[in-house]
Amino acid sequence: MASTSKDNVQASTSGQGNPADDLEPGACPESVLNPSDSFEEFASEMSSSLQERNINLKSKSSTISEIQSEICDGNKDNTEITSTKSSDDLQSKDDQMSALASSCNLSNQNGEDSDNEKDDYLQSPELVNKEKHVFVLSSAGKPIYSRYGNEDRLAGLCGVIQALVSVVEDQNQDILRSIITKDCKAVFLVKGPLILVAVSKSNESETQLVLQLTYAFNQIVSVLTLTQLNRIFEQRRNYDLRRLLSGAERLIDNLFIFMEKDPAFLLGAVRCLPLPEKARENITNAITTTCHKIRDLVFAILIAGNQLITLVRMKKYTLHPSDIHLLFNLVRSSESFKTAESWTPICLPKFDATGFLHGHVSYISEDCQACLLLLTVQRDAFFPLSQAKHTIAEKLRRSNCLVAINDALNRNQELPTTNPLKHIGIPEIRHFMYKCKSTAQLFTSDPISLDRLQDYRIRHKEGGDVSEKKIEKLSDIDYVRNYRKFCSKIHCTSSPAKLIFRSNSDDTVLAWVTNGFELYVTFDALMEKDQAIKAVDRLLRWIKREEQRIFIMNAPTF
Amino acid sequence: MSRCDFKIVLLGSEHVGKTSLVLRFVNSTFNSGTPYQNTIGAAFCAKTMRSNGKDFNIGIWDTAGSERYEAMTRMYYRGAHAAVICYEPCCLESWARLRHWLQELRTVEEECKVYLCGTKKDLLDSGMVKREVPEDIVATYSQGLRGHFLTSSKTGENVEELFQKIVDDCVADAKLMRNVEEMRVQLLKEEEAYKAKHKEYCNC
Repeated sequence: MASTSKDNVQASTSGQGNPADDLEPGACPESVLNPSDSFEEFASEMSSSLQERNINLKSKSSTISEIQSEICDGNKDNTEITSTKSSDDLQSKDDQMSALASSCNLSNQNGEDSDNEKDDYLQSPELVNKEKHVFVLSSAGKPIYSRYGNEDRLAGLCGVIQALVSVVEDQNQDILRSIITKDCKAVFLVKGPLILVAVSKSNESETQLVLQLTYAFNQIVSVLTLTQLNRIFEQRRNYDLRRLLSGAERLIDNLFIFMEKDPAFLLGAVRCLPLPEKARENITNAITTTCHKIRDLVFAILIAGNQLITLVRMKKYTLHPSDIHLLFNLVRSSESFKTAESWTPICLPKFDATGFLHGHVSYISEDCQACLLLLTVQRDAFFPLSQAKHTIAEKLRRSNCLVAINDALNRNQELPTTNPLKHIGIPEIRHFMYKCKSTAQLFTSDPISLDRLQDYRIRHKEGGDVSEKKIEKLSDIDYVRNYRKFCSKIHCTSSPAKLIFRSNSDDTVLAWVTNGFELYVTFDALMEKDQAIKAVDRLLRWIKREEQRIFIMNAPTF
Repeated sequence: MSRCDFKIVLLGSEHVGKTSLVLRFVNSTFNSGTPYQNTIGAAFCAKTMRSNGKDFNIGIWDTAGSERYEAMTRMYYRGAHAAVICYEPCCLESWARLRHWLQELRTVEEECKVYLCGTKKDLLDSGMVKREVPEDIVATYSQGLRGHFLTSSKTGENVEELFQKIVDDCVADAKLMRNVEEMRVQLLKEEEAYKAKHKEYCNC
């Protein structure tokens, strides 16, 4: 039993008394995040023509040089800054490129196996029966990344992929987007000099897979910058990119685990760590008072367990959720940040794909799992930022904010947000997720705790195989999986649904999108529609009541 | 937090164990449980050491070995008092990269004291790996340098000795020490000026 209605649902339900205020839960006048929706972008990615795609490759103006020149305008005598162009680091790299190329060709020839052997490899347990494969190759067909197995031995497969893509392009003047078989989707994305392919047996839609491939591309840009990536392949079409990406494979590996698990990607939103309003205010103040005199600082971001605690920014600039997701991924994937202060070049593709920001990255203290990122355009700024970090940490300790963060992370029982379903008291609701659209923030009924994050990663290490066994008790990941098809109906560009109500003997799912929010709720089986709507109404009231705790409701600047 | 008296930079190709060396030296730990992860950019650690009866703050830059950060590594050895170039005796490739760093340092930072460090001595001793870099070649190269150490971050062998030698060498360098003293005085002045300014600020 499924009903999809595109007519004015909002009017009919608001008659029953929506949350008292005009604003949906979580909305605030100014947002720290750039709420522009990625889905439209991916939809346009899917419908663009060959010419459009080639035009889009030409990168836009650089935000980083904009900031640098702005700083210089106000500070003309400081000639040092003018000389730090974001791209000059890369210049010397080019000289070596041609020298490297000859050795690449050699190793490639050595890797040639007989055809039989290659075919066998495709049938090996490393590769068969996986739920989702991801391959990245250069447009010349050289393997760059494979989620499973060894890329070297997949050269044959990559050749086939490259041939498929280029035949459609050259002969039909068209773009190969996907190949769908009975139990499998292969989705292709050509971006710049790279070809990305996902081969999936999961229930993810084509758009959702393109979104994931775009994230993988952005992850690569994030370690190299788009400028460098393009230049490498302009100079040598045949270049083996693995040389430069070495060590970054784990970032892509982890990104895919993260994307399959966390609804933040599905909804293009960021999770915030639920905190008492006062505590978050104190944390933000500690950062602004310490950093307001550091001229070149663009963003100060405090995160914990893939959740945002606070984000302070330079006036005029906001961060896109997908850039924050890459930062989450970087921090989660790098143990080394725990042991020392890091000084790390980071390219945030949505912010500025052409250059690096420089990040001072460190955990706030040994007894608190919150990680502070101070991102600047000034590459010599390590020591002032290191000093600032120590000052901030000291302030947080004195104002008991570290305790508040730890309580939230360890899911201290006394907080209403630790177990939202229990606190809300609607027994029919099994699970929900809510996105406030104007601020691109997300809240779900299962706040992340660190130990569970760890648990998921360990479980995933065991394989990524398609599993047949029936799951008895659903985990939050399973709920999120179930929401995928509702999400894709709601984000469908040709005929988007506004309200979906589906009830069967397993469960009842309600998906509802308005101008202000997106809401997905799983109820007990065979729930009546009006009963469900009443419950949703109570749920929204609860979120509204708790909004100061679960969302970041302001947009602080330095 | 005061600035460091001596700046030391670790160089070398990826996976030779620069981060492990620093962690052994600074935290006296070696974690054989965690899988290898490359350093992204660079990491900074500080430690206080005694030499000639005086305490010195040393700052160590642990740089990324990965090629993609190579152009950036220059900013870490700029102005470094000492550089430790690491290689793996059982990996000829890492030795080839070492020669590259030697050349760089010689042209860019002439004043910098250079030390060679062969890592993973425990593996070599246990016979689990075979030496690929001949000892006589290492000896020839280290002649013009400040020293060569064969270390094990797992057992801690020679790690303390390496850094102690660096600090002792720095302290023995009269010209370098003059600069360090000047820096300290300068810093003290700045701090006082800052404090005075801060007080003023607090009063109003």
